[in-house]
Amino acid sequence: MIGYLGVDVGSVSTNLVVIDEKTNVVSYIYRRTMGEPIRAVQEGLRELKELLPSKIDIEGAGTTGSARYLSGVIVGADVIKNEITAHAVAASHFVPDVQTVLEIGGQDSKIIILREGVVVDFAMNTVCAAGTGSFLDHQAARIGIPIEEFGAYALRSEAPAQIAGRCTVFAESDMIHKQQMGYHTEDIIYGLCQSLVRNYLNNIAKGKELLSPIVFQGGVAANLGIKKAFEEVLETETIIPKHYSVMGAIGASLLAKEKMREKAKSSFKGFSTSDIEFKTSSFYCKGCSNNCEIVKIEVEEEVLACWGGRCGKWEVEQTGTTPVS
Amino acid sequence: MKITFPHMGTLDIVLSDLFSRLDVDFVVPPKTTTKTVNLGVKHAPEFACFPLKVTIGNLIEGLEAGADTIIMVGGTGPCRFGFYAEVQNKILHDIGYDFEMIVLEPPMTDIKDFIKKCKKIAPKKSLIQIFHAVRVGWKKAVAIDEVERETLKTRAFERNFDDTTVARKKALTVLEQAVTSLEIREAREEALSLINKVEKDHTRRALKIGIVGEFYVLLEPYINFDIEKYLGQKAIYLERPVYLTDWISPSKNNPVMGINSDEIKKAAKPYLSHFVGGEGQATVGHVVKFAEEGFDGIIQLLPFTCMPEIIAKSILPRVYKDLDIPVLTLVIDEQTGRAGIVTRLEAFMDLLWNRRKKKLSVVS
Amino acid sequence: MKVGVPRALLYYKYFPLWDTFLSELGAEVVLSPRTNKRILNLGTGAAENEVCLPVKVFYGHVLSLKDKVDALFIPRVVSVEGGAYTCPKFLGLPDMIRALDVDLPHIISPTFNLKLGLREFCCSIFELGGYFTKNFYKIISAFYKGLNKLRNFEGLMQDGYLLNEALTGRLSPTPKGSLHIGVVGHPYNIFDSYVNMNLIERLKRRDIKVLTAEMIAPEIIDEIVSNLQKKLFWTYEKDVVGAVFHWLDTKSVDGIIYVLSFACGPDSLIQILIEHEARKQGFSVPIMPIVIDEHSGEAGLVTRLEAFTDMITRNKVGRL
Repeated sequence: MIGYLGVDVGSVSTNLVVIDEKTNVVSYIYRRTMGEPIRAVQEGLRELKELLPSKIDIEGAGTTGSARYLSGVIVGADVIKNEITAHAVAASHFVPDVQTVLEIGGQDSKIIILREGVVVDFAMNTVCAAGTGSFLDHQAARIGIPIEEFGAYALRSEAPAQIAGRCTVFAESDMIHKQQMGYHTEDIIYGLCQSLVRNYLNNIAKGKELLSPIVFQGGVAANLGIKKAFEEVLETETIIPKHYSVMGAIGASLLAKEKMREKAKSSFKGFSTSDIEFKTSSFYCKGCSNNCEIVKIEVEEEVLACWGGRCGKWEVEQTGTTPVS
Repeated sequence: MKITFPHMGTLDIVLSDLFSRLDVDFVVPPKTTTKTVNLGVKHAPEFACFPLKVTIGNLIEGLEAGADTIIMVGGTGPCRFGFYAEVQNKILHDIGYDFEMIVLEPPMTDIKDFIKKCKKIAPKKSLIQIFHAVRVGWKKAVAIDEVERETLKTRAFERNFDDTTVARKKALTVLEQAVTSLEIREAREEALSLINKVEKDHTRRALKIGIVGEFYVLLEPYINFDIEKYLGQKAIYLERPVYLTDWISPSKNNPVMGINSDEIKKAAKPYLSHFVGGEGQATVGHVVKFAEEGFDGIIQLLPFTCMPEIIAKSILPRVYKDLDIPVLTLVIDEQTGRAGIVTRLEAFMDLLWNRRKKKLSVVS
Repeated sequence: MKVGVPRALLYYKYFPLWDTFLSELGAEVVLSPRTNKRILNLGTGAAENEVCLPVKVFYGHVLSLKDKVDALFIPRVVSVEGGAYTCPKFLGLPDMIRALDVDLPHIISPTFNLKLGLREFCCSIFELGGYFTKNFYKIISAFYKGLNKLRNFEGLMQDGYLLNEALTGRLSPTPKGSLHIGVVGHPYNIFDSYVNMNLIERLKRRDIKVLTAEMIAPEIIDEIVSNLQKKLFWTYEKDVVGAVFHWLDTKSVDGIIYVLSFACGPDSLIQILIEHEARKQGFSVPIMPIVIDEHSGEAGLVTRLEAFTDMITRNKVGRL
C-alpha cells in the first residue's frame, strides 16, 4: 500500500496525516506542540506508525505550518508549503467548488477566497487572539466548562448575551460583568461565540466577498456554536469537512502526492526518524550588529539547518534557492 | 561641528559623499538594527508612524557616536513627515541631548532661509562651490539608484544564487570611490556592467510584481526585511516606482524610473482624484499602471498608522476589483515578525502562479 | 432633493453653514442620527482596520444614511486657510467612501481648497450651488446666509457656550462650579458623546466648568501658533496647540483633558509639542491625555476622570 504523509506543525498543535493513493485519509494524529516542535513531530510519527497498516510505503511527504521548514528537515519533506496554500488545497479537494475557506485554529486564523479553484485572496491573523481558538479556551477555563461542551451549551441559548469588545481583554471583562448580572451560562457562551465570529469577520474577512460554498475548518470548527453564529451572520450554510482539524496536514499530503508526479524518489526519512536524536543549539550571528539568535539543528555533528535572524541569511544558505513553480 | 543624519536606504552613501565634498565633519550613525528600533520605540509617541520611531533611534546613535548637529529635511504637509524634525528636536532635547538641529525646508517655501542653512552646513565653501558639489553628488546619487533598479530586474534571473547581491555590493563600492564628474561617469558604466554581467537564466519563468507604498519602508531594507532580495531570489521580477533620487527631486519627470508624475496622477484619478500627502495618490496611480502593464501582482508596504497609505489601502480593493490585479498589503511596525511576512509572501506567490497557470489554460 | 449630511467629522465645524446653504438652495437636508452602537458597528465593519476611529464613525454615518437620501454631501475640505491643510484623511474622504463595496447614492463632493486662493474657493461654491440652481445670486445669497449662521454659531462658542449647545441652539447655563477644566481635542471626539462615553456631561455633573478651544479668541490662538518654531501645517491642530499653550500660559484652567483618538496621525505628533511645553512650564497645570478607540471601556474612563478631578480639587484646597 502506498501512502503520502502530511505534517502540519503550528505553535499550538501538531498534526500528521497519511493518505492513500486514492487520497483517502488512512490515519491521522492531532496533538499539542507544547513548544517543542521536534519532539512533537517525532512522537507524532511514532504514534502514527502504530495506527498505520504495517505494509505501507510512504512515497511522498509534505510539511506546512509555522514550523514547516524545521519539520521539513526532520521528516525529509518533498514539498514544504505555507499554510494558506495547504488549507486551500485541502478544502478544494473535499469541496471542489468551494469559494470561501474559514479557518480558525488555536493560535491563528485565516480566510481564503477561491474562485474556480484558484486562490484569489487571503488574509491571516497571527497577532491578535480575538478571533482564534485560544480566546474560547481561555473563557472556557474561566467559566469552568470543558471547551468540548461549549457547542452543546451554545446551541441551547435562547437569548444570547451581547459580549462587547473587539479585543479579548475587553470581551473578558464584559463577560465577567454579564456573569455578575446573572445571565444564563448558555447565553453567555453563545454570546462569546458570536463575539468571536464578529471579531473574525471584522478583522480578517473585512472587505472580502464571502460566497458559498463556505468551508469552515480548523480546530474551532468542532464548536457547533461557532458554526451556528457564522451561519446566522452569513445567512448561509457552512460545510465542515470530516477531518476539519487536520486540513493543513491533509493539504500537505495532497501537495506531496502531486509533487511526486515529477520526482523520482521521496526524500522521506522513514518512521525511524523518530529515534534519531536531533540536537538543537543556538548561537549569536556576528554578521551584523543585530546579533540575532540563530537556532541550529544537528544530527551527529552534521548541521541540518539553521533558523532565526532578521535577514533570513542562515535559512537561505542552508536550503538554497527553491524557485517556485 | 559634527553632523549626523538618519538612515534611509542608500542615503548614507549619498550624504557622506556630499559632506566630504563640502569639507564638513560628519558621522554616519551605525546601520539600523534592533537596538536602533528599540531606542526609537522607547522615546517616540506610541502611535507615531514607524519611520519616526526608527529615525529617532538613528539620531540617538548618531549623537552617541559624537555628533553635535543633526540635519533633517522639513516639509509643508499634510503628511506627518514634514513635522518629523520638529518632533525629533523636542524629544531628543527632552531626553537630555545637547545638539543643534538644521532643518532644510523645501527651497520653494523660503529660498533665503534655504541658502542661509546651506551656508551654515558648509561654512568653508562659497555658494557656487556648494551648488557644484550638490550637482556632482547628484550624479552619483542617480547612478546608485540605477544600480538599484537593475539589481531588482536582474536578481530574478540569476543563474547562481546570490550573484546579483554580490555584484550590487561591488557596484556600490565602485561608485562610492568616484569623486570627479568624469570618475563618476566611468564608475557608473563599470557598476552597471557589473550587474549586467551576472550570469542569467533567460529560460526561467518569473513573476512580475510591482512593489509600492510609503517610501521609507520601501527604501530601508532593515525595516522591510530586505523583501526585494527575498523575492528576487524566489524568481520574482520586481519594479518599484520610487527611488531615493525620485523622492528628493521635486521634478515632474522622475530621473530613474522615467515616469511622469502627471501620468501617475491621471492613472489614479478614477479612484483617488486628489493628492493626500506622502505617496498615497502615487501608490494608487502606480497600481493602476502596473495593472495596465500586465504585472502579476502588487505588494504594498506601509508603516503602521501611515495616513496617506491607509487612504490608498482603503481604495485599492476597488482597483483590484476593476482591474483584476491582486494586491498584498503588508503593514510594518516594531512588532512585525519575519515569519508572518514570509508566510504571506509565500502564499501570495502561490496565488499569483496559480492565477497565471489558470490564465494560460484558458488561452490554450 | 434629499441631501444627506453625516453627523461626523467636519459636521462639528461647519454644519450651520452647510445646512443653511443647502436648504436655501432648495435641498432637504437629512442629518444622520447621533452616533450609536449600530452606526459604530457599521463603520468599524466597513472601514479598514488601520483607519482612525473618527473616520470609522464617519463611514458608519454614511452607511446609515445612504438608503434614505438622493445624494450624500461629502465635501473634500483640503484647506480652510492659506498655508495649512486639514488632515490627509479629509483630503481622501470622498474617494474612500466611493471605494466602498456598497450601492451609494450620488456623492456631492466639491473640493474646498483655500490654499489655492479665494477665487478657487468661490468657484467651488458655485460648482456646489450649481447642483441645485443656475441662479448666480441665489447661490451668493445662500452662501452669505450660511456664513452668517456659521459666525453666529462661532460667536455663541466665543461667549462661552459649548459646541453641542451652540449647534442645537439649546443653550443651558454653564455650571458655576469653582473648578475649571479645559477639554481639547478634535470637536468630533469631544462632542460625539457616544464615542467619548459622555465625557462632557460627566464633567458637568461634577459641577465643573468646561472650557474648550472654541471659546478662545482666534487672534490669541493665531498669535501663539505663529510663535512656534515650526509652522503647523494642520489647521485643526493649531486650535489644540493654541488652546493648551494659552491655558498653560494664563493658568486660566485648573486642569486640561486632552482627548485623542487612537491612530490619529496629527495628534500623535502634536502630543509631543504639548508635553514639551508642559515640561517647560514645570507642569504647573496638570494635563491628562485620554485616548479613545472602539475598545475603550466606560469604567476605565470614569475612574480616570474621577481621579483627575479629585486630585485637582485637593491641590486647589491645599493651596488655599
